Amino acid sequence: MQRLVFRVHFRVIAIAAMFIAARAQSQDPHAGHDMPADSAHGPVVAAGANGILLGTIASPGVNNRTLAEGYLTQPMVMAMLTSRGGHFVADLTLNFEGTSLKRGELNAGVHGEGYIDRRHPHTLVHELVGTGLFAAGPARLSITAGKGFVPFGTDDPMSRPFVKYPVNHHLAQLLERALISGAVASGPLLLEAALFNGDEPQDPYDLPNYDRIGDSWSARLTARGKGLEVQGSYAKVESPEHASGGGLDDRKLSASARYESNGRYALAEWARTEEGEGSATSFTFRSLLAEGSVDIGRVTVAVRGERSERPEHERGLNPFRTPQPHADLSIIGRTRWDILSASIAAPLPSYRKLRFSSFVEVSTQKPTSLTNPSVFIPEDFYGASRLWSFSFGARVGVGMKHKRMGRYGVAVSNKMEAPMAGMDMHHDMR
Amino acid sequence: MKSARLLLALAVTAIGCSNDDGGGVGPDPLVISTPFDLTSMGRGPVPDRFTAELWVNGSTAYTTTWGTRTVNDVQARGNAVKIWDVSSATPVLVDSLIIEGATTLGDIQATADGKYLIVATESAGSIVIYDLQNPRRPALVTRFSNSDIDKGVHTAEVQPVGNKLYAFLCIDPRGSDKARLVIVDITDPSAPAMVFSQIMGTPFVHDVFVRDGILMTALWNDGIAIFDIGGGGRGGSVANPVQMGTAPIVGGKAHNIFWFRDQVTGIKRFAFVGEEGPGSIPSSSVGDVHVIDVTDMTNPREVAFYNVPGAGVHNFSADEERGILYAAYYNGGVRALSIRGDLGTCTADQKSSDGRCDLRKMNRELAKGPVGLSFPVYVWGVHFTDGKLYASDMLNGLFRLSTVPAF
Repeated sequence: MQRLVFRVHFRVIAIAAMFIAARAQSQDPHAGHDMPADSAHGPVVAAGANGILLGTIASPGVNNRTLAEGYLTQPMVMAMLTSRGGHFVADLTLNFEGTSLKRGELNAGVHGEGYIDRRHPHTLVHELVGTGLFAAGPARLSITAGKGFVPFGTDDPMSRPFVKYPVNHHLAQLLERALISGAVASGPLLLEAALFNGDEPQDPYDLPNYDRIGDSWSARLTARGKGLEVQGSYAKVESPEHASGGGLDDRKLSASARYESNGRYALAEWARTEEGEGSATSFTFRSLLAEGSVDIGRVTVAVRGERSERPEHERGLNPFRTPQPHADLSIIGRTRWDILSASIAAPLPSYRKLRFSSFVEVSTQKPTSLTNPSVFIPEDFYGASRLWSFSFGARVGVGMKHKRMGRYGVAVSNKMEAPMAGMDMHHDMR
Repeated sequence: MKSARLLLALAVTAIGCSNDDGGGVGPDPLVISTPFDLTSMGRGPVPDRFTAELWVNGSTAYTTTWGTRTVNDVQARGNAVKIWDVSSATPVLVDSLIIEGATTLGDIQATADGKYLIVATESAGSIVIYDLQNPRRPALVTRFSNSDIDKGVHTAEVQPVGNKLYAFLCIDPRGSDKARLVIVDITDPSAPAMVFSQIMGTPFVHDVFVRDGILMTALWNDGIAIFDIGGGGRGGSVANPVQMGTAPIVGGKAHNIFWFRDQVTGIKRFAFVGEEGPGSIPSSSVGDVHVIDVTDMTNPREVAFYNVPGAGVHNFSADEERGILYAAYYNGGVRALSIRGDLGTCTADQKSSDGRCDLRKMNRELAKGPVGLSFPVYVWGVHFTDGKLYASDMLNGLFRLSTVPAF
């Protein structure tokens, strides 16, 4: 009965969200564009929805078996309210992967939140934040509160060229946390800091442990100009794996350079996570990633190279799941993943307000055990020393486009014209 | 035998009164002080699965399996109980049990009368009870689970309290469900009944020790807690444990606990707590042995510790006649410690900077092993029984090890 009530509740939320998106789109004079350009005449609501119809072949997926699966991945409804004058912005992103992606999406090397070699579904309330924007002399300030992205690392992979996630997602981003953050921008420099809860979500409908808000913190310094953005960030995350606390803490570092201009995009990032207690480090995981894309006519070509390390944990009867939380603090090995990926994407004809684009991605992965002896020996587990992944499908969208995910308020853009400026939603990944 | 114990007790008492060497190993002839080697007398290999828990019942031993091991493209889960003939020095595998739906078998123990075998399962939590009328052919009696248990039974301690038999189960946390201690009455093995269930530990309750109506729990970062369950004079019972005292453990991560009862003197002053730090199985480990003075159970306190550089402790077993604690030390093999006498008093040179006595500096380390092997080990558990010592090695199977020479 409880499950039935939940499903009904879920559908009501989904239908209401889609309705809001459609309504907002129809009311928005800038419908079909990226953002409301001007809120001087009153509150502006922008909304949109998108999803990806995806087919993936993983060879081998596990135990020398080729797996082929299809999904509706990244189904999301987004809305943004901007007050008159632009001094307040509310962002909402609902993510429905809890329903569409319950088993997880084949994605070799990816791990986290009880999934391994499958990307975990994100939480229903992916993002719900309110941001106040102010000016103070030459500086611009913003304060953000709610549930969303912590100022750490790089943009969420959902807003980047590839559908498949990089292995370093849990090394290079912190998301779905209850947070209060502040940002101050002056000239090309931007400083952000946040307090948040350290615990990762336990399932797609989990809420942050509000009694843990403030047990973790992060800071990010960014310099930007002429399409180039360089950031360095640090986060101290308390017991992310054990929601009730008492697990290992993370000390995370990230540095990156990002360029985007005139249909060209590039990102190079380094990330490191140390797990330990107090000042003692038990495990270290590192990542190097570079990716880029270029528009050639109506076609976007992207490539990505990655070397990232991940912990191994005991797997359950389902080889793509690990106990969450783990029954102790140990791991059963460390694996380095070397991955090369390429993709081609092209827009398809639209239908009324619906946008479509197609894509093909191919990726090869080579996992290498970094511990000896090791419980997890990649060649034995997968049945091959090199893995391949082939993905194809179509993105579908309506209304507001996918924005850059991971920054709020004055951190969104370096457009300085008004406090409102900065809801840069231009990252249109085809 | 009784008169021999009496003589030993008198000797210990007399020497204890005159021994003012600060608890270090002095001239006390009853305190084993001569180092020895733990050598492999025989090994029963287990190449197909990772070996974990161990219990020896007369001439039959049982080892559990853990996780998933892939050999020659064949993946084998930790769902097997290996059954061994240990009547000779080299364990001989005679049979095995497969427990459906398990990925790891959390624990294994035979009842003191040798009639039943209890196996704990993860990640589908349950206890499985077998009849040991034929110890080499365990016969399933029942499998018990409920919504408090099904998250995974990490450890199971089977002990009598009063005239009943209980299984004390440490349940894994799962998702938003926190770890808990569950006590099941298995007096009638065919009809287990849960009599107690309570959330416990931060973030785990990992193991317990039960003796003389006292329940001691290892609560990870909460240290240890001591409960009266019928023997503490506080009105506690198995169904209603009454907490008597708690103690933090330096560094936290209290994983397992053993309360030493000197079989010669009857003294029950010290409990030994294993700390399980974050290691990488099966190549590294970290964690000390912590010695807790439980003379005053309302105010237990850590007084000593033992550290092995580069290795961490796991499970214990003791020779209570000789006062020797055997500790599985993962990649450090097995260590034997002399634990008779006063471990909480030592010279300034034998103390750490925080004031605790260091058993290594007190020359309490007696032995390590298995010595002379040409391959690495990762020893999960030890069991000392009937004068024999066995060790379960995740990588290599079941060892029979030499023990202290006769004295």
